[in-house]
Amino acid sequence: MNSKTAFYIIKRILLAILTVWIVITVTFFVMHAVPGGPFMSEKAISPAAQAALEAKYGLDKPLMTQYGTYLRDIVTKFDFGPSLKQRGRMVIDVIGDGMKTSVKLGVVAAVLAAVIGIVLGAVAALRRNKLIDKIIMVITTAFVSMPSFIMGSLLLIIFAIKLGWLPANGAAKGGLVLPIITLSLYPMAYITRLTRSSMLDVLGQDYIRTAKAKGVSGTKIIFGHALKNSLIPVITYFGPMLAYIVTGSLVVERIFAVPGIGRAFVSSITNRDYPMVMGTTIVLAVLIVVMNLVSDIMYKIVDPRINLE
Amino acid sequence: MKKFLALLLAAIMVLALAACTKPGTNPNSGKDSIAVCLASEPDTIDPALNSAVDGATLLCHLFSGLAKWAQDKDGKLVIVPDAAKELVEGVANADGTVTYTYTLRDGLKWSDGKDVTAKDFEFAWNRAASAALGADYGYMFEVVAGYDEVSAADDEGKPVNPDAKLNIKAVDDKTFEVTLYNAVSYWNELLAFPTFFPVREDVVSNESWATEAATYVSNGPYTMTGWDHNSVITLEKNEHFVDADNITMKKIEFFLSDDENNMVANFKNGTWQLIDGVPTNEMATLKADYPDEYKVVGQIGTYYVCWNVNEQILPASAGLTGAEAENARAEIRNAITLLFDRNYIVEAIAQGGQVPASSFVAMGMTNPDGSEFYKTAGHNEGFVGYYDVAKESFENNYKAAVETLKKYYSFDEASQKFTDFPTLTYLYNTSEGHKAIGEYLQAQLAQLGITMNLENQEWATFLNTRKQGNYSIARNGWVADYNDPICFLDMWTTESGNNDVQFGREAHASAAVYSLDLTDLGYDTKVENGTWAETYDVLIKAIKGCTDNEKRYELMHRAEDLLMSTGCICPIYYYTDIYMISKDVQGFFCNPLGYKYFMYCTFGK
Repeated sequence: MNSKTAFYIIKRILLAILTVWIVITVTFFVMHAVPGGPFMSEKAISPAAQAALEAKYGLDKPLMTQYGTYLRDIVTKFDFGPSLKQRGRMVIDVIGDGMKTSVKLGVVAAVLAAVIGIVLGAVAALRRNKLIDKIIMVITTAFVSMPSFIMGSLLLIIFAIKLGWLPANGAAKGGLVLPIITLSLYPMAYITRLTRSSMLDVLGQDYIRTAKAKGVSGTKIIFGHALKNSLIPVITYFGPMLAYIVTGSLVVERIFAVPGIGRAFVSSITNRDYPMVMGTTIVLAVLIVVMNLVSDIMYKIVDPRINLE
Repeated sequence: MKKFLALLLAAIMVLALAACTKPGTNPNSGKDSIAVCLASEPDTIDPALNSAVDGATLLCHLFSGLAKWAQDKDGKLVIVPDAAKELVEGVANADGTVTYTYTLRDGLKWSDGKDVTAKDFEFAWNRAASAALGADYGYMFEVVAGYDEVSAADDEGKPVNPDAKLNIKAVDDKTFEVTLYNAVSYWNELLAFPTFFPVREDVVSNESWATEAATYVSNGPYTMTGWDHNSVITLEKNEHFVDADNITMKKIEFFLSDDENNMVANFKNGTWQLIDGVPTNEMATLKADYPDEYKVVGQIGTYYVCWNVNEQILPASAGLTGAEAENARAEIRNAITLLFDRNYIVEAIAQGGQVPASSFVAMGMTNPDGSEFYKTAGHNEGFVGYYDVAKESFENNYKAAVETLKKYYSFDEASQKFTDFPTLTYLYNTSEGHKAIGEYLQAQLAQLGITMNLENQEWATFLNTRKQGNYSIARNGWVADYNDPICFLDMWTTESGNNDVQFGREAHASAAVYSLDLTDLGYDTKVENGTWAETYDVLIKAIKGCTDNEKRYELMHRAEDLLMSTGCICPIYYYTDIYMISKDVQGFFCNPLGYKYFMYCTFGK
């Protein structure tokens, strides 16, 4: 790594911190500007109880003071505070519980999508216009155009209700199989198509013809030259794929009752559980910022021609 | 390519066909554990803090209060002693208060082996009622002497007496003494309510005690052996429980999910034996496919539409002011109430077996003589409630309503429409079900030329807007906390935190149009053309201080009459609770508040 790359990475990290800070600030003030509060329920509690709770959680202080305290606790103690709705639980524990499952779901789905997608894409490109290519293309077209809530419901009905092979409840043993498949089908299909077209493009390049002419073996051409170069567009897709997996998992977690972070995120907003809203937003923001950074740095490694500036 | 597609389609069809056959054995036979799903992760299962029905169900299995709900031999629901030896009668004191002295049963143990003492009840009740805890249901203790001091707050909401305690006392380890302001008929029922369950001081001093199985100490038929957050709470039979011999279900797993489609999937494949909710669009199919397992039971609650009492709905041309205007508005609102066909709403829109409503106090409440409260409401000949809700009466009601409205608004006979009705806005919280009902109300009014726009807000914003009275008409609903009509009536006093209609506030504070005469019941209250505060508030106060049950119910009927005369409450239907339970399960019951009891369940062969 040369000093230019190092400088670039440092710059990107600083930018990432700035981005997260902006997300925190905007979320904090927008959240407090929305009407309704965490202690509001259909059956009103007494003004005395309301005041006691606000004092307990520091919500009676001026907004700027609350903001200052919040930032200080995050930075110095990594303390996200207590949940206002799930009394007695800390935000970090609730997020930790949810993330354990969500990360498993997301990572497996992403790896599955990448591996199968690249293999299928390569196969389709190498067997261009043969039956196998057509089968792959038909199936991937179907998967790309089918939204995850339909795919999820379909898999649920077939495999969990009719056939009874897999549980419908994401918390049960083996319960993550269906959610992972649901979540990975779309990016997998997309990667397949991306790899296929990019591979076809590469296979038509002069340097491949040169390699062939020089008598390099087929395997070496495919793995040594074609595949590596055709992966650049696929890597570009990793950023959007992550965003898809994060948002898609909110839907998929619901369909399969997966105990992930999705529900905590959505219900915290409805509940006006301020520390929980902040906590989940920060975690997701950091995740996306970091993954985008990683994806950018990966271009550089795969293709040294790319100018990071 | 075409050939391939055809093959693919054929393959899918074969798969689907194969999938249609079901195994015929009963996998549940003889099981002693049950898996159910009521709702998603509870916000809290601290008995004092809980205010949700699913949380209450968990608590009824985990804790043992002075009393509990049970089924008698005929299957009727009754309140029976639990931790108390018996549910004693109160002894009247000279100052009008009533004292109850309970003796605890022998051998009561906490799940960690320590003895349950009267001190635990004293501590738990004072904690639950305190402003410092800020429990949603802290006000349930308002009948207990001393609560007024406990809850007193200054203008800023700061407690006036932070050290005040309820008038309750642990005389010794086994004797617990409670003093009430006056006898209330639903007292025993309150004792079975989770807010009144005991907790131990050293346990709850850890603020996170109720968030993990390891720190959760209870005294009931079950102990919590596992809590996998957002996934499942596992209860296992507490062998130290005094009544352990009668508890048949060894293990209960409460799965935590609120996605109704997912619940149905898990019910259909046999994973869960009870689910507490089904998607509206699948109700008809499920009811047809699972006639023995699809259950609709009454719930003590009313779905209604409320007006902002201060909304100006008279046309400028009416030229009415003061009392005349107030009375006119009440007449108009009452007329509009008649424009909606509740049978249509229930059958075509809500589809959950709900019952069309013609009163505010919900179906399920009983008079002292055992008759249904709602059936004696309205005091009308020939029908129940404040208007006739029968299908065949709708047309006449509608015509009568139009005639009433004609008195105040210009009516164009040619188009059969009113031309000068001010535009209304209907506020509801975002949900397909509420939206569908809103659209029906809108369409009914539009037929008469009345424009009502629909506005939806997300739940917390909606609550805020409605509480502050920043609306003209809004969706509303109320579900009882205990089986007494007062919990439907005391919410409309001027100062009540639930007075969304804004009775007695702003302009309505000075509207002197209400009359109240209680002299025939032995009170010296007689008000003519009084304000809301002089009539309704006085009436509610009289009800709360009344110890004669017959009289008390008469007063409550009068309160509802006064409330309904304003036209601000437009009842739509009485709520129902829909759940599905496997036909293999026996011994299950559900109380009127919707709590579900699995401890006496068994699986048939």
